[in-house]
Amino acid sequence: MANSNAFRRRTLVKSAVLGAGSTVLLARHGRAAADKPQYGGKLRVAYQLAPGALDPVVGRSGGDAYYWRQFCDQLVDADPALKPRAETSLAESWDVSDPKSVTLKLRKGVLFHDGTPFDAAAVKFNIERLLDPATKATPRAAFTAVESVEAVDEHLVRFRLKRPWGSVLSTLADRGGAMNSPTAVKALGADYAFKPVSTGPFKVAEFVSGSHVRFVRNEKYWGRDGDGNPLPYLDEIVMNIMADPTVQVSALKAGDTDLVYLPVRDVGGFLDNPKYNVETFQGGGVVFTLSFNQAKPPMDNQNLRLAVAHAINPEAIVKAVHFGRAIVAKGGMWPTGSWAYDPTVARPSYNVAKAKALLAAGGKPGGFEMDALMWPSEVNTPTAEIVRAQLGAIGIKLNLKVAEVTVATEKFYYGQEAPLFLTSWSRYPEPDWNASLIYRSDGYYNAGKVKNAALDALIDEGAATVDLEKRKVIYRKVDEIVLGEALMVPEIYGITYAAAAKHVMGLDQVFGWDAKMYLHRMWLKKV
Amino acid sequence: MWRYARRRLLQLVPSLLLITMMVFALMHAIPGDPARMMVGAGEALDEAQLAVVRREYNLDRPVVIQYGLWLGRVLSGDLGRSAVSQRRVSEELRLRAGVTFQLGLFAWLIGALIAIPAGIVSAVFRGRLPDTVATLVAVGAVALPGFWVGIMLILLFGVRLGWLPTQGYVALAENPLDSLRHMLLPAIALGITSAALVMRQMRSALLEVLEQDYIRTARAKGLARWPVVLGHAVRNAFLPVITVMGLEIGRIFAGSVVVETLFGIPGMGRLMVQAVFQHDFAIVQGSVLVIATAVLAVNFATDMLYAVIDPRIRYDT
Repeated sequence: MANSNAFRRRTLVKSAVLGAGSTVLLARHGRAAADKPQYGGKLRVAYQLAPGALDPVVGRSGGDAYYWRQFCDQLVDADPALKPRAETSLAESWDVSDPKSVTLKLRKGVLFHDGTPFDAAAVKFNIERLLDPATKATPRAAFTAVESVEAVDEHLVRFRLKRPWGSVLSTLADRGGAMNSPTAVKALGADYAFKPVSTGPFKVAEFVSGSHVRFVRNEKYWGRDGDGNPLPYLDEIVMNIMADPTVQVSALKAGDTDLVYLPVRDVGGFLDNPKYNVETFQGGGVVFTLSFNQAKPPMDNQNLRLAVAHAINPEAIVKAVHFGRAIVAKGGMWPTGSWAYDPTVARPSYNVAKAKALLAAGGKPGGFEMDALMWPSEVNTPTAEIVRAQLGAIGIKLNLKVAEVTVATEKFYYGQEAPLFLTSWSRYPEPDWNASLIYRSDGYYNAGKVKNAALDALIDEGAATVDLEKRKVIYRKVDEIVLGEALMVPEIYGITYAAAAKHVMGLDQVFGWDAKMYLHRMWLKKV
Repeated sequence: MWRYARRRLLQLVPSLLLITMMVFALMHAIPGDPARMMVGAGEALDEAQLAVVRREYNLDRPVVIQYGLWLGRVLSGDLGRSAVSQRRVSEELRLRAGVTFQLGLFAWLIGALIAIPAGIVSAVFRGRLPDTVATLVAVGAVALPGFWVGIMLILLFGVRLGWLPTQGYVALAENPLDSLRHMLLPAIALGITSAALVMRQMRSALLEVLEQDYIRTARAKGLARWPVVLGHAVRNAFLPVITVMGLEIGRIFAGSVVVETLFGIPGMGRLMVQAVFQHDFAIVQGSVLVIATAVLAVNFATDMLYAVIDPRIRYDT
């Protein structure tokens, strides 16, 4: 009897646990009938980086997107895999079939936050503004295919092109596709950088430098949810700048914030905690990559580059540095979740025997000594130490040169100061962005600027092709060259984690294609 | 005295000039093309855009000319605009400086309130239990880095006990009580090292005074111990303590960089560190100017206080 009672108790406990689990599943993978979104409330989010500028085209930090995503829409919005999604875009439809032009049919009835209409003239103004060098717009390089912009009628806009523009739809899903009110830009001048006026679900109410940005609901927002209810649900969002991840986690535990990015070391404790929900994004960036300068000895020797790549065991780094919460890279620089990601491509993976054979083939059977640039962080510093030990095992002596991130980047790509750079890369799922910037022989991030005619031709072909299936084939060939010749070898893709208090709903939709937070459809469950 | 004050004030001008010159030179000594560094690590501007950046910030001119242009603008009241946020530097500093001054003052006061009584007790009970305890605590406080103390305070009072907010800043004018609640933990984290140093100074200065003949005479005439200590000894022991407390202001500013980051306080320390990383010259120069002025002003005030505390000093020579 006593035994059966104990059994029953255990079973009850077990089903209670299962019950909790299924609630989590519901919260993540769809809404139960009882979870009808509720309007109102203030969501508090903690984020590590302060915005540079809030104007989406003028800001230069990747971290700016966490802010402008909340008050901007995109001309062409995209789903988490970066596939265009018309229903959430400012353009209802588009025509990219003509290699000489791109035509967008704009959504009617959209207003900027200042009440002025969003129309073809506004699009023309925005694109011309970012093409003007004086604006110093960050995405200008991505728009150089544009010859001119023409407002065909109030809701039809056409870009005349100098050359075919294969990445146009992805590019319009990023900074350059966010629209600024021409009236406000003209009226505010330089001040517009921190007083932006766009079309998105929230408006900037307050930007206290170094402290927080407060957004309030755009009452006139055009967007609707799947049931036809007006978006957004929240009255207010406050994004607090908290530079230290430990402090962010403490703030979440203390109830001082509702939503944070979770450092991998804290993930375990939150997954088991019934007070929080955790959402993940696979491939939220390339957290460790080898970047080679092909012009600088000894890395001008392909065999020696490959020897370095084969000597590194990313599995060990994932375990030791990322607590197992990262992905050993199987493809190239467009990580998991990108339509271009191809894990079947041949790449230099961990193989000590092969590394030694390549050293011999490269004329340095006993190994060699070289400098490697790196920038320090919680993740990079131990990673570089492990890499140094792993290369040491085959006789390569690595001298680590440490500099702050901007300085190290400048020293490597512009100053040509080292043959190897141990670094990380943001998530760029559109392959043309990375291919043109890193692999093309005149790309800014091609440190050695070594000409590779076959690669350049493929990159140009990819940039000029619109059809995704055809592009996929092209970028697989790009990966084959880049990984086969060890020009840039990504080793580890990141996993991004977000944790929120239980009453924060819509966490399943928090990540966009760039692994950044989109708070458009979040809501708070009243308790 | 006034002549001395005037002379000291005039001396501040070359000091300030020298400081701004040195910071300007140091910022330009960072290797690499300043225009590219301003643009940042992750994104690339093309040559046409870089040319605009160089022209706008005079980066295409010799460093000496750049400094001269900056100084000329500052003298006419224009500190320029941030290369990153595009805000006016004066506006950015106006928002941030008050926050750091409030935090610094609060930390300094907390330091003094702990240190002076502890130093007095420690000196009076020299070699006995209160002295040993106070010394041990002081040595510990000097040894502990501010960021660690900060994290421990957050974990204990914010997360475990839930008594105080872990993050953020509320303006004093907006809600005085809430403002103090937000400031308490960071001010303790910032003030505790300073308290330890001031306490050690108070102790040794007081010990020296307590051994003077006039103290023995006072006790011999029958005065009780505490009136002698508080009425006669402490005031005379205060001179070196004031010096240390004045110097502590500079250290508190330096410490505010870390503490502001930890507690999410939008102060000047954080602004400056970020600006250094972003190569935002105008902000770095502007904040150095404000901090240097503040530190020099405190040093000046300390010198003047000597005269008030010690009537023998009147600086008439």
